[in-house]
Amino acid sequence: MKNLYFSFNHTIYTYILKAVGILLFITLISHLLREHLDIINIALIHIIPVVIIAIHGNIKATFFITLLSVVFFNFLYIPPIYSFKVHNELYIWSFIIFAIVGWIITVQAKNLYTQTKQNEMRESLLNIISHDLRTPLSTIIGTTNLLLSNNNIDKNSIKNLLEDVNYASLRMKRLITNILDSTRLSSKSIDLKFDWCDFEDLVGVAIEEFSDKQKDELLEIKIDDLPLYWGDNILLKQLIINLLDNAFKYSKNNTKVTLKIISFGDGVKIEVFNQSNHIDEAKLKNIFDKFYRLEDTNDISGSGIGLSICKSIVGLHGGSIKATAVNEGILIEAKLPIVKKAALI
Amino acid sequence: MKNYLIQIVEDDPSVKKLLEITFREYEFNHISCESKKNAMMLFLSHNPDLLIVDLGLSDGDGKEFIKQIREISKIPIVVLSARHDEKEIILALDAGADDYITKPFSVNELLARIRANLRRITSDATLSSKIVCGEIEIDLASRSIFFKKEQLKLTPIEYELLKYFLLNTNKTLTHQQILKEVWGVGYQSEMQYLRTYVNTLRKKIEQNSTRPNYIKTESGIGYRFCCNG
Repeated sequence: MKNLYFSFNHTIYTYILKAVGILLFITLISHLLREHLDIINIALIHIIPVVIIAIHGNIKATFFITLLSVVFFNFLYIPPIYSFKVHNELYIWSFIIFAIVGWIITVQAKNLYTQTKQNEMRESLLNIISHDLRTPLSTIIGTTNLLLSNNNIDKNSIKNLLEDVNYASLRMKRLITNILDSTRLSSKSIDLKFDWCDFEDLVGVAIEEFSDKQKDELLEIKIDDLPLYWGDNILLKQLIINLLDNAFKYSKNNTKVTLKIISFGDGVKIEVFNQSNHIDEAKLKNIFDKFYRLEDTNDISGSGIGLSICKSIVGLHGGSIKATAVNEGILIEAKLPIVKKAALI
Repeated sequence: MKNYLIQIVEDDPSVKKLLEITFREYEFNHISCESKKNAMMLFLSHNPDLLIVDLGLSDGDGKEFIKQIREISKIPIVVLSARHDEKEIILALDAGADDYITKPFSVNELLARIRANLRRITSDATLSSKIVCGEIEIDLASRSIFFKKEQLKLTPIEYELLKYFLLNTNKTLTHQQILKEVWGVGYQSEMQYLRTYVNTLRKKIEQNSTRPNYIKTESGIGYRFCCNG
């Protein structure tokens, strides 16, 4: 819903301008033809801008344009003309009807918009299932069939093949967790379990999810001395896992990923950095959108669902997250404000 | 090594098969059943050394079975759960289970947990005032704890916490259990005490506190004190 709100805010001025333009145009036309048109037709014409704005689904904008429309109509056509006085109370009713029409259309437009959004989500989800789950699944099916039908494979190859199966199933497991998390996070009834969190502990649990090679050779960790943090343990763990998973996926071969937990002012900052081939700064803005994935990285398994979950988790803690290109790599910073301070024991 | 007898209570055929093959390969004796009703009969007639119980059984909740067993026996119980729901796991642990593992699980992890839990019952038998775990040694009589042969300087609460861990090694302890046992009734929700003391204890006995060897975190559930060897 937040996204919806932002997109409205973004375009609100453009379409209000558009509507005011139409209103002026309509007023001009009806003013010129006022001799030939009945007052009722002029009223109907004046509802056009209301309808146009209402389609965008913003109730405030709708009422604003309704008011404007009614003011114009009243001032120019309702006797006494060129005044805001209204003699016949029937016209008051017309104003109310204007507003009701606007309101009905706004509500409908909103519903429609949510539905379209949901359909888009459903479609992306299907895409994920068809591509990202099928890729590891085909590895599993292919490899097990091979092992079952062929008895002459040497032990080393068997071990290699089984490792592939193992890796593929782990990827599937993580993806399924992410899909479930993301539906949980996007439903409104999420129940946050706020409690005291120890970042050292969270990082320790999070890195257990990664392979020994990643843990021992490819990861550098720096954690400031921090007091306990008031947040949701499970979600913050998932945040760190997803940030690291993303960094490992997109880092240049065998370069180190850095994880820093930094104390600043009245908050905690989680920084994850990985080296990467050149990345367009403009594209970085979108990487937290659901199901967005950098275009030129099609061969990497992953759905872009991980970072959108990060954004939701940070949002639920009242913080902000951003990605920037620095030193030939990507730096993701998640800032979490401190809402409750731990008493000293 | 003695041949232990493990009883499997699991209604999913593929998981049961996987467990049976694993136990045969690793030379554990095993008996298995699918329902709560048969489980009790089998338990009474065979007297196994360890129980593996699936939480979602077709004829009722595995937790009730755990409670019934706990009334008559101290046998180690490892819960197998498809649910990633911490609440369910905590309830099972509070009902008397010693450990848990969630599906999908790796066989190595399961075996490690089984071995650790079997080890605990054998060490229980030789109850003495001294417990050794890796490089940590506690002398209950003199209330002192040694780490790498040197006496650790601990505050009274740190001592109580570490003692509780050492008396319950390789067992998953819920936050509530620890708080109740170490701090006392009424402190069950004081998570910040527990987090703070675990943090300071780790600084004293772990080489790297983000990669702990002894005090492992079970996310959303509690801690387990690992003691291998």
